[in-house]
Formats: sequence, C-alpha cells, structure tokens
Amino acid sequence: MNISYNWLKEYIDLQLSPQQLIDKMTFAGIEIEAVEELGKELRQFQVAEIIEKKPHPNADQLSICLVNTGQEEIQVVCGAPNCKSGQKVVLAPVGSKIGDLEIKKVKLRGEESYGMLCSEKELGISDNHEGIMVLPDNSEVGKDLATQLGLNDVRYEAEITPNRPDLLGMIGIARDLSALLNRKLQLPVAEISEDKTPIETLLSLENTEPKLCQRYLARVIKGVKIAPAPAWLQNRLRSVGLRPINNVVDITNFVMMEYGHPLHAFDYDKIVGKKIIVRRAKQGEKFTALDEETYNLNSSDLVIADSEKPMALAGIIGGTNSHITAETTNIVLEAANFHYIGIRRSSSHHKIFTDSSYRFERGMSSVTNEFISKRAASFILEIAGGELAKGALDSYPNPLPLNIVKLRPSRVHKLLTIEISSEQIKQYLEALGLKQVDSNEEELAFQIPSFRQDLTREIDLIEEIIRLHGYNNVQTFQKPQNITDTHRFYARRRVQDAAVNNGFSEIINWSFGDPDDLDKLQLAPEDPRRKTVKIKNPLGPSFSIMRSSLIPQLLKTALYNIHHGQEDLKLFELNKVFSVRRGQKLANEELQFSGLMCGLAQPNIWHTKTRQVDFYDAKGVAEDILQILHITNVSWLPSEEPFYQPGQAAKIAYKKLIIGNVGKMDAKIAATFNLEKPLYLIDINLEKILREIKTKLPQFQPIPKFPTVQRDISLLIPAKYNWSKVKKAIFQINPKIIKNINIFDEYKGKNVEKGWRSISFSLQLSSSTKTLTDDYINNLIQKIIDTLKNRFSIQMR
Amino acid sequence: MENTDLQQIVEQASQEIAAAENEHQLNLLKSKYLGKKSTLNGMMKKIGTLPPEQRPEFGQKVNKAKKRVEKLLEGQAEKVKEAAYRKAVTQEAIDLTMPGRKTNFGSLHPITKVWRELEDIFMSLGFEVAEGNDIEDEFHNFDALNTPPDHPARELSDTFYIKDDVLLRTQTSTVQIRVMQSHKPPMRFISPGRCYRNDNDASHSPAFHQVEALVVDEGITFADLRDILNIFVKKMFGPHIESRIRPHFFPFTEPSAEIDIVCVNCRGKGCHICKNSGWLEMGGAGMVDPNVFDQLGIDSEKYTGYAFGLGIDRIAMLKYNIPDMRLLFENDIRFLQQFK
Ligand SMILES: [Zn+2]
Repeated sequence: MNISYNWLKEYIDLQLSPQQLIDKMTFAGIEIEAVEELGKELRQFQVAEIIEKKPHPNADQLSICLVNTGQEEIQVVCGAPNCKSGQKVVLAPVGSKIGDLEIKKVKLRGEESYGMLCSEKELGISDNHEGIMVLPDNSEVGKDLATQLGLNDVRYEAEITPNRPDLLGMIGIARDLSALLNRKLQLPVAEISEDKTPIETLLSLENTEPKLCQRYLARVIKGVKIAPAPAWLQNRLRSVGLRPINNVVDITNFVMMEYGHPLHAFDYDKIVGKKIIVRRAKQGEKFTALDEETYNLNSSDLVIADSEKPMALAGIIGGTNSHITAETTNIVLEAANFHYIGIRRSSSHHKIFTDSSYRFERGMSSVTNEFISKRAASFILEIAGGELAKGALDSYPNPLPLNIVKLRPSRVHKLLTIEISSEQIKQYLEALGLKQVDSNEEELAFQIPSFRQDLTREIDLIEEIIRLHGYNNVQTFQKPQNITDTHRFYARRRVQDAAVNNGFSEIINWSFGDPDDLDKLQLAPEDPRRKTVKIKNPLGPSFSIMRSSLIPQLLKTALYNIHHGQEDLKLFELNKVFSVRRGQKLANEELQFSGLMCGLAQPNIWHTKTRQVDFYDAKGVAEDILQILHITNVSWLPSEEPFYQPGQAAKIAYKKLIIGNVGKMDAKIAATFNLEKPLYLIDINLEKILREIKTKLPQFQPIPKFPTVQRDISLLIPAKYNWSKVKKAIFQINPKIIKNINIFDEYKGKNVEKGWRSISFSLQLSSSTKTLTDDYINNLIQKIIDTLKNRFSIQMR
Repeated sequence: MENTDLQQIVEQASQEIAAAENEHQLNLLKSKYLGKKSTLNGMMKKIGTLPPEQRPEFGQKVNKAKKRVEKLLEGQAEKVKEAAYRKAVTQEAIDLTMPGRKTNFGSLHPITKVWRELEDIFMSLGFEVAEGNDIEDEFHNFDALNTPPDHPARELSDTFYIKDDVLLRTQTSTVQIRVMQSHKPPMRFISPGRCYRNDNDASHSPAFHQVEALVVDEGITFADLRDILNIFVKKMFGPHIESRIRPHFFPFTEPSAEIDIVCVNCRGKGCHICKNSGWLEMGGAGMVDPNVFDQLGIDSEKYTGYAFGLGIDRIAMLKYNIPDMRLLFENDIRFLQQFK
C-alpha cells in the first residue's frame, strides 16, 4: 500500500515532518518498508519567462530566446515552434540533468545557449512532445518546477497486516493517525445533484448471488465527456504509484485510494438489455479482461454481466467489452462489496492480482458503498460533466447489523497494568470510529464501524487501546540487576569441563590448611602464600590456616588413592585460596585451578599403546584451559616455583603477568609428602586471569576459498635454540600464507650428533586470494630453509 | 536337425556356465562357445551351403543361441563377482564384543554436579547468581540477619573465628545482605557457596555447601515462596516428589518454615533414610523479617520478600544415594568416577 504524505494531509493536520511520520506510523502498527522522495528530479528545473524571441540567424528551425530566470536574463536557443515571448516556460539550467544528459553551455549554429527549454516529455511529466511545456501566466518566475506543479511529496510503501483492510486507503491511515495523535480527522463530503430521470428507467439490476455479492450499488451518469483528468488528480494518482488513464477511471481510482474501497465504471451504451446481472460464470465462458488476456471462466467465478456477456470478473478486473473509452458518453458507476472468499478463489485461480482484488480479498465494508458512490459521482459531475440519474440501484440482501463489543475497564488494567480511565478509553476508541452505545461502571459497550470487522471481542479493543496508548508507555517492573558475573560464572564451568574432558576427576577438599605444608613446599618467606589467614579456634594444628594453595591437599588426595591401589591419577580441584589482605578486615579470596597427574597417560587397553605421563601431557591440559578461556599469546618460560624440577617446569606468562605453572614436581619435595612416583602439576591462578585479562570471543574468519597445501620438512636444530624461536622465525617469513606448523616428530640419539636434535614438521599453507602453485611453494620453502640456516645454523635432513 | 543341435549346445553351455566359479573359468567358456573355433561360429560359416530361402531363419536361430549364451555368461559373471565380494567381507569380520576406543574423560564432583543443577534450575526461573566471601564479618553473618550478639548461634564453639569480628561464614545469607546493600529492589537471586561450622562428625562436615535464595519486590507473598519451593523440588527430584513446609524459627525470617520433601528413597512409606517419617528435611525458608529490610534501608512497607536455604551436599547425597557425608570429601577416585 502506497501512502502519499501530501495526500494524507488533506484529512489530518499532521504537524509532523515526513521523517517523524514514519515513527508514528511504525508505532501505530503500520510498518513502513520504503520511503521515496517525489519531485526530486523536477527540483532542478525552474519557471522562467521568455522576454524576447527572435529568429536564429543561421537556422530556420531555431529561434533565440531571451529568458528571465528570476535572477538574470540569459540567452537560450530553442527549437520548439510554440515558444512565444511572454510565455512562462520550464528552463533546464546549465548543470541540470535530463535523464543522463547534462545541460551544458553550448553554441548552436554559432549562437550561444545557456540552458534548454523543455517539453513535458523531456521532463518526464507526460508523453507530450509537441513543443515546450507552457505554464500558466500566474506562475512565479524562479520557482522550482516540483514546487510549481505541487509534485514535492514523500511516498511511503507500507506493509498492511491482513487484519486491517481499512488501512488500504488514505482515510484509514489518517483515522489511525488521528486517534494516535489526538488530532481531528477531516472527512470529505460528497454533494450530488440528481437529475429527474429515475435510474430505474435506464437500467435494472439482478443479483443472483447474495452470498458472493453482499451489496451491489449502481448509478448512471449520462453525457460525460471523457478526457484526461485535471493535473491535481493525475498528480495524486502518481503520488501513490498509479498511472492516470482518463478522468472517469482516474476518479474511481482516486476514491479507491482515498477510502480503500474499489469501484468500477462501465460504458452504459455497451450494456445489452440495459440490465446488470450479478451471476456465476458459465463453465467455459470466455472473458477478455482489461489486461488483454482472454480467460476461460468457470462456475465458481462471479461475473458482472449484461443479458448477453460477462462485462467484468467481479471485484477483480473489468472487461474490454464495456470499459470506459474516449468515445464513452454514458456510464454506470459500480460500488459493490464482494465476499473475500470468492475473490481470493478467482484471483488465485486465474492469477489476476489487481488493486481491486487485493482489497476485496481482505474483506471490505458493505456500508461505505453508499458514500463512495456519491463521492465518485460528484467528482465525475464536476470534472467530466453529465447528468446523474435519480437514485441508485442497490442490492443489499442481507444488511449486516453493526456489532456491539463490550469492554471492562478493569480488564484493561488487568492485562496491561496501565491505569486508564473509562473516559480515556472512550476517547481512544471513538477516534478509531467506534461509538460508545452503553456504559455502566463495570462495562462499556461500543458499536463497531463496518470497516473494522477485525474488532469482535473485548481483547481486540484492548489491543487498540494499548496501540494508541503506546506499547512502550507500559511500565516494566523487573530490571536486570546484573548480579550474576556471567563471565566468571561460565569461565569456571568451562575450566572444570576442560579438565574433565582431559580425563581429570574433580576433588573437593576442605578449605583448612596445614602451615607445615608450606614449609615442605619450600615456599620462600616472602612468598604471598605465606601470608596466611589463621583460624582462632581450628579443628586442630593441621587445620589451622585457610589454605593459600590447593597443592598440598591435592598431593594428600593422590597419596590416599595410591594407598588404595589407584596409581594412575588425574585429579583437579577448582576452589578458593585465601591470603591476608594488608590493611583490610577481610581476606583475599581467589579462584585457583590445580591439577595433578601421575602413572599412565591412558588406561592400558588392548588397542592403544600407553606410556607414563610426562610434561607435555600436563602442558596440554593447561593449553586446553587457556584456549577455552580464549587466551592466546602466552609464553612458556622456565618456572621459578621451588617445588618443581628445574628444566621440566614452565611458568605461563601473559605479557608481564604470571598466570600459572606447569611441570614435574621435584622428587625430593614430593617425597616429603610420601609420594615416590613422578608427579606432574598444573597450577593456574584463575582469579588473575578473570580479573586482569580481557579476552574476546572468537570472531568468525572466512573459510579459505583456496585449497590448503601441506609440506613436510625435517631439520637438525642445535639444542640451544628452543622451538618457539624457530617457529616464530618461520611464521615471520610469510604470516599470510603459513597458516599452521605441526610438529610430528622429535628425535635425539643415534644418527644425530650430540648437541643437536631432529625435528620434523608439516607446514600448512594457503592463500586467501589464489591457489598456490608448486613454484610459489618451492620458493617459499627455500626461503624458510635459507632463513633458518642463517639465523640458527639449522641443517636440512 | 539344426534346432536340436542348437538346443543341445545351449543346454550344455548353460550347465557349464552355472558351474563356473571364477572369472578365468568364465573366460574359457566364452571362447569355447562364442570364440572363432566354437561350434556356433562353425555353424554360422555353414550358412552359405544352405538354400537361400533357409538362410535368414537359420542365421536368426544361431544368433539367438549366441545371445542366450552371452546372457548366461554375463549373469554368471555377476554372480561370481558378488560371491567373491561376500567372501572378502566375511573374512574381514571382527569380534564386536571387544571394548571400543573411548575417550577416557574424568568426572565432576557430585557436589559440583548438584551445584550446577541448582544454578540451572533457578536461572531458568529468572534468578541471578551472586557470589561472596567465605571470610566475613560479624555484621553480615549475624547482626544484619537479626541475630543479636547474645544469640546462641554466635557462640565461639559453633563458629570459626579469624579475628574478634571476622569469621568463616556460617551461611550464605551474608551474600544476600551484601547484594541488598549494593543493589536496589527488585531483586531475585541465589547465592551458592561454601559455609563453615565448628562441627565434625558422621553427619556434619566443618565445611559444607549451601544455596540460599532471596526475592525482594513489591507484592511478594508467602504463596510465591511455596510456589518456588514446589517447582524447585519437582525439578530437582522429579515431578512426583511432594514437598511441605512447617513452622520453625529463624531470626531473619517471619514467618519462618522448614522445608520437607517426601522421602526420595521410600516415597513416604518410611525407611531408614527418613527415620520412618516418610519426610526428609531440606532446609529453611520464610518471609524476610521487616527488621532485616529496615536495617538495610529498604522500605519494608513497600517491599516484601522471601528467602530460603538448601544444603547442596545433602541434595547430592539424596540424589546419588550416598550414605555418608565423609565420602564427599575423601576424594577416593573409585567414588568420584561413579558420577561421570
Ligand atoms: Zn524414607
């Protein structure tokens, strides 16, 4: 449904800019899908006056005009025979554009021309190309053409929901806005003067399908003059995207766009037998419609026929045998209401979709017919002339009573929580065209207008009330308090899950610690874990502090299990550790993750060769945890924790922050906890990570369009260079192409010189812009090898 | 004469082809019956010796026999191929009862499992989750909770103390006080966490886990409390588990109640777990005492609220049928791995 801003203003004093109107309509439930500024093209042209016309010295067809633009007088060469001095005409000034053609200062046969005088066709106003467009004498020189012609407008394309056919006309939209803005709706009037000839002497009507044709109202006007409609009417139709045809047809379309209710006009003289019959089509009956297609009708189609032939597919499309032509002098004006089911069936069966079928298939009112018939008739008399026969033929077999719907104000409050008075309710609903017919304290009764068939129950009225009151004016009560620390909440679960997925079982120990354990771990006196929180009345000396590390109890749990014959262990605890906060009453409480591994890496199962756990198992767990916390770019440096075995333990550094340690526990210290077997620990300060590292969720990266190539390389590396250095050097060579480096073998010993080790890895290479050629890859590999040779004395194997 | 010959040839070919077991044998039969030196081919060459009017019919008959043999060969080739495939597949059969290569994942502690379940249930009911300190001051643990200094619960023997006015919280209601201090109503949250009591025997652990819930808003009623408890019990223990509340005393709620659920073991018939009562005690509940609100500057005329507390460890024991609280903290891997 197209809505014109200017047209709308005929019925309501909007006091809103075109932009503000969009918001209002949106909140009235009219969704605006597109907005188009009309007249924009015409604004570059201006009204000008020809002051003097003289012949072109070098060309008979051309003349030279001296033109007043309102600001200056310029010379324009013109080829149109109809240009005369004193005329108000349209000037396309230098710099303006007609279509793709830019108007430039030119010399035409030796005479300069500063612009162009335009025809209506050139301006896109009509197909008229017989000379330049001549404006009325009272046109204001200098004014832009869009303003001059009243063509500045905004067209909205609105999506009307199927329950609101009343919004398929300007007045329906205006009525909703009037209710919403509390501004008066100015409805048009229709005054007609009828002739003395009774219509019954000219035409008769038979409606054989009262179910499919709920009302049929016809008027006859004799002696009309078919001509193009006046400019204002054509402009209105264009503003909503309709094409002007002739005065009578344009008037029916105008009234349709105004009231949302379609009308049709027949050529009276083509009606055989001077009788209109509303009937079902005969099976196989042929009908040529205005779209120039011939349709095979069937008995479920409703037609408007004369005594011989169908003249229209009712409510959908008229026929070529009876439509208004330039020769038409007498017309029949139809204002009918057809049942939506019949229209929907025929329209979809024949695949004919018209502005008329679009409206009828949503259900029209049977009451508005009378008014719109008068409205259209009065326009025709005014514009096309003629004499209106007295009275109308009106078949309205089953007049529908207007519905009454009752509404309890208490129910409005119950559903919407808003406090709203009965008076306010009345105001809202009457603005929509309802009429209060009865009321008492508990209940109001409203008569529903015929064009609002969608309002049948109390709840429908409540919906209207809140729509007008404003959905967003309803107070909400629950405010999210953001009590949950969502990041922390899920980080904790994800770390637990990562450990479990790695085969770890979660343990839960009491929070009490033994101060002796800190000595056993050989923590330095200044170690923050020494600043313990002491309990005044503990269960006993070995439970006398709040634990500052999870590791002692982890070791004790391991020992307990080993004593019970369980030697292959993967255990973790995720819990709080405590330390004194200097100058504060309360303590530091920090989330810590600690894990322990010993024994076999995997259960010894028939198909999988197993081995003892080692450093890389422990590191892998830590890497998994960092990955699910989305922490990248950590470095693994030699650990400084006293209870790890040097050379087999790393601290995890994120920039300058140490967020944990991973490694093999020092055997001598483990022995003080009565543990004899190699143990690996993972110790991560989750609190530090949550508090100090801002991480980002992974963001989608386009999947490479070009295939990934894999190349394997084996190198001999001097032992003094660690892998991260080598890897970094390789990536730096071409980070856009080198996507991944995957070590598949490390070897020391036989055939490899002492002080060296062999590393084999595969490179994954791909480009986002091309398929990598062999030459390209070979060059890249050579570059990698050369770089490594130069920097690390690496050798190829 | 030729008819019977042809029939005999086809008949013989048919028998030999049907007996072929592999491709090689079929190739030999092909050349025997259709090759240059085959009888059929020889008969075709004889065609020139026949009277012209007999030639077409004879030719057709020989061709038909050839076609027939070809078809038999093709059919048998298909059969031989299929049989070879079936045989190969049979040879690849393995022992389906040997154990698979499963991921040896670990296990969450049953307390964590119940803890998460509680959070999930209450979050689905629109609750938020608040955390707080284990080490608290007396104000948040006692005073603000309407527990005056001479209250028996404040005796040193029940509570672990760090300093004179700093202690290990005995309930997570401390978090509720802190949230009421830092936020304005309406509020609706749970606070799960670890609590401490100076108590250590078969049925008491000095460290234990609790979840408390607090809802403060306009128009919160006792009915809302009953409602949420009912929903919680059914979500946690199953739709058939009924619950009830009965009068009790807590310093910070008025009216106060204890929550019972139908014994999950005997469904109310009476057993050793419920000590033959048919009911199990789940925790405490009540409407927040106006004193608590007043002390925190919340308008107790405008707002009402309810609170309740539940033991996480106890729920875990009931859900997983764990007979002894000490098992929860022993961390025996043979225990832990039962709750994968
Ligand atoms: Zn029981």
